[in-house]
Amino acid sequence: MGKKWKIKTSTPKLDELEKGPWPSFIKELKTLAERKPAVEHLLGQMEQSYETNTNYWTGTVLNLDGYGGGVIARYSDLAKKFPEVAQFHTIRVIEPSAFVYSTKALRELCDVSENHSAGILQLHGMTGDILMLGSTNESMHTAGEALMEKGWDIGGSGGALRTLACCIGPARCEMACYDTLEVTKRITDTYISQLHRPDLPYKFKFKLSGCANDCANSMQRSDMPIIGTWRDNIQVDHAEVAAFIAEHGVDFVVDNVITRCPTKCITLKNKKIEIDDKNCVHCMHCINVMHKALAPGKDKGVTILLGGKRTLKIGDTMGSVLVPFMKMETEEDNEKLIDLIARIWEFWGENGMEHERVGEFIERVGLGTFLEGVGIEPDPQMVKHPRTNSYIKFEEYTKPLMAGEASKSPLVTNKEVEGKETA
Amino acid sequence: MATPGKKMAPRDNGAPDYKKYLHPLMVKNYGKWKYYEKVKPGVLKHVAHSGDVLYTVRAGSPRTLSVDTIRKVCDLADKHCQGFLRFTTRCNIEFQVTSAEAVEPLIKDINEILGFPVGGTGNSISNIIHTQGWMHCNLPGTDAAGSVKALMDTLYEDFINERLPQRVRISASCCQINCGGQSDIAINLQHHHPPKINHANMQICELPKTVAICPVAAIRPATVDGKDSLMVVDEKCMYCGACHGQCPSMEIRDPQTDSLAIWVGGKTASTRGGPSFMKLATFGLPNNPPRWPEVGDAVKKILDAYKESAKPYERIGEWIDRIGWKRFFEMTGFKFTKYHIDTYRYARTTYNMSTQVRL
Amino acid sequence: MATIQIAGKNIEVDEDGYLVNLEDWSEEVANSLAASEQVEMSPNHWEVVNFLREYYQEYKIAPMIRILTKEIGKKLGKDKGNTKYLYELYPGGPAKQACKIAGLPKPTGCV
Ligand code: HEM
Ligand code: SF4
Ligand code: SF4
Ligand code: SF4
Ligand code: SF4
Repeated sequence: MGKKWKIKTSTPKLDELEKGPWPSFIKELKTLAERKPAVEHLLGQMEQSYETNTNYWTGTVLNLDGYGGGVIARYSDLAKKFPEVAQFHTIRVIEPSAFVYSTKALRELCDVSENHSAGILQLHGMTGDILMLGSTNESMHTAGEALMEKGWDIGGSGGALRTLACCIGPARCEMACYDTLEVTKRITDTYISQLHRPDLPYKFKFKLSGCANDCANSMQRSDMPIIGTWRDNIQVDHAEVAAFIAEHGVDFVVDNVITRCPTKCITLKNKKIEIDDKNCVHCMHCINVMHKALAPGKDKGVTILLGGKRTLKIGDTMGSVLVPFMKMETEEDNEKLIDLIARIWEFWGENGMEHERVGEFIERVGLGTFLEGVGIEPDPQMVKHPRTNSYIKFEEYTKPLMAGEASKSPLVTNKEVEGKETA
Repeated sequence: MATPGKKMAPRDNGAPDYKKYLHPLMVKNYGKWKYYEKVKPGVLKHVAHSGDVLYTVRAGSPRTLSVDTIRKVCDLADKHCQGFLRFTTRCNIEFQVTSAEAVEPLIKDINEILGFPVGGTGNSISNIIHTQGWMHCNLPGTDAAGSVKALMDTLYEDFINERLPQRVRISASCCQINCGGQSDIAINLQHHHPPKINHANMQICELPKTVAICPVAAIRPATVDGKDSLMVVDEKCMYCGACHGQCPSMEIRDPQTDSLAIWVGGKTASTRGGPSFMKLATFGLPNNPPRWPEVGDAVKKILDAYKESAKPYERIGEWIDRIGWKRFFEMTGFKFTKYHIDTYRYARTTYNMSTQVRL
Repeated sequence: MATIQIAGKNIEVDEDGYLVNLEDWSEEVANSLAASEQVEMSPNHWEVVNFLREYYQEYKIAPMIRILTKEIGKKLGKDKGNTKYLYELYPGGPAKQACKIAGLPKPTGCV
């Protein structure tokens, strides 16, 4: 523990953020500033940012030995004025599935943070990771060592696989259609070297949600959203339906359930609900509203999408359907998923350009080509509708490919000539 | 003890074993939950097929936490929750207890010892997710954490109550990379001119990579003072800042002109109409630390209109789809300008190609 | 910005020890940069450095990791054409440590 340090820096602007009912991150920093000189200087630098609307961090590249990701390194541009934050790095620690902790585990993290960095933890980063702020070039090694000694692991910065993130799933949610926590851990452990020593064209994110409510925000914040669903019938508890109608009235059910179903597949007859399950698109709305009366079916699995990302370069993209349904229960199911990931990375890894997210890659080469590349049959569920323009590049113009005929090797604009890439 | 340069073999420990961190009732009823009930704002009751009941109390947190506060959180979880707790995607803390009587004493401790509010469930505004800002990123033009803290003060009552038509999720980002994500309402930074190039530094960069990263091919190689450098074709540049992420000498930020814009109608769930992107509501709000009052005012306008006219279960985007953008701009008082009309890829697909207009 | 002395020459390096003027590179400089990283340069280490330099001279960028691993696999054997081996040679990572020793620019992007 550091000795008591007297706060000398005055921070009138930041002090304004101590006011108000919402808990203040500035208060958190000030508590630490009493014994952590680095945090006092952090506050000093931030105060200057608040005065000038200018940022004072410069990014650099630093890693622990044997790791290509896991440290986000920053040098201060104001090192002369605030030497204690001259080096102020963040370590990205892999979080437990669904952000569950024992107090013992959290206290362990606190001890490492206290002893080897600034005592600041962000729970959690937008990526899902635990962010431990404030190590120096020296102490990031001791912090990393201390974390790993206790079984924690780091990784997932730069052009690497990011720490995965998932919803609470079966641990506490009746909507969950597969074990988000277990699959998250499995993908992490299987592909841990991609978090540590990546060889992908760019970053890759998985997020896993147990159902279409997508509490993990996977659709648009991950390259590969894996979302729970079912393929049999919605389970209906008719007694509970009756109770719901009795409590809320028929009008409420019509206005808020029947007419809100995107495919209009629910009807109300004699105060009984009938669902045309073949046309249900598993959107979860009716189940959310009548959660005691309705539940996802029993034959559960996942829908796998691909290509979500945020704004940079081509603009925001959502994931789009790659595998409409896949079981996700047995060892074999898991291996199928792991294998699918490997095929995607192989094809994108071989043909993607540097800094090209998988969604951008698909946009460049086309989903059709991509499917051939990873060995997946086209499926009408992958599109909103078939193409509307007639500019089709049939692969053999003399003999247009007929539906169902065996396909040729992918037509990717391949930049690669014998292992060399043109810039 | 490891020193820099000392060869430390990577451990490849992998993800922590979540099974050790689950509350005992979660272990027992794993995958066997039956239904949940809302007890009151911030408190959920989950009932398992076994009959077991687990109460969850959700507390707002500032995300950036001192170890001192986390240790207090641990003390509370030890005292009330058998030593287990969890965090949500939106940085709330969830404490779990097994009886209804245990809920109020827990809430009292959360409020008094931690000073954290309880709420964020159901039709409320949950914690705002945001990005690093001036605390740690190398690219920010604003401090998302600061504007979020100020905004949550303004929206506090909507965190601790469930009085909205549907849940409202808000995010904030501090540069145009927008790490904050799609939300019902998003507060994002906007740059207003091409990057200023620091030619003196350019020789230490991988110039072709910076050229390649520009999505509109606005960057070209150039020779400046006899040295290799780059130039930007101003008319092509859309001020996205992608080059700045690649090369720190392509300075895109400008404390004088960077401003904030507000976006509405994003949604990730596939419920009802499916996921949707957010759309520009208003722009040109001053980047005004420490409390960004203009942002709070604009968000309130949106929320007031939403509360007034949305139907139950309508997210902000669905509500606007129903009432139309004309009405949205009338109700909020934001001006619709030519800048609201898309100019990037697929712009034309966003035009109204029908005679369906609200008159 | 700091200066290091190698073979009687003053050489400018940045705060992380990367060359400021890439023309300053020589084998001696590489050996000295390697020593500062506690990397002992074996012939296999040189294969990596030489390839990085050739690639950079042709394209003015560092190769993608996959291109590097493939090339090393070709030169040193398939079992060595992977990131695991590259990190054994250069624990600081091929992009960071190996590029530094090869006198390539510091990877400045946030990836
Ligand atoms: C150029 C350099 C970049 C830097 C320095 C950077 C930095 C960061 C940081 C610090 C976070 C964590 C934010 C937080 O939790 O406070 C983050 C998350 C994120 N970044 Fe970036 N980023 C960069 C590039 C990008 C790019 C190119 C994209 C997308 C095209 C992107 C999209 C995201 C998204 C979506 C998140 C949230 C992660 C999630 O929800 O999983 N970032 N980034
Ligand atoms: S995504 Fe679905 S399964 Fe997961 S926590 Fe949300 S509602 Fe439950
Ligand atoms: S889950 Fe959605 S699509 Fe299916 S019946 Fe319910 S509301 Fe309709
Ligand atoms: S939004 Fe931009 S500035 Fe903010 S954390 Fe993300 S990359 Fe950094
Ligand atoms: S700001 Fe964007 S559009 Fe402008 S030069 Fe940079 S990368 Fe290109």
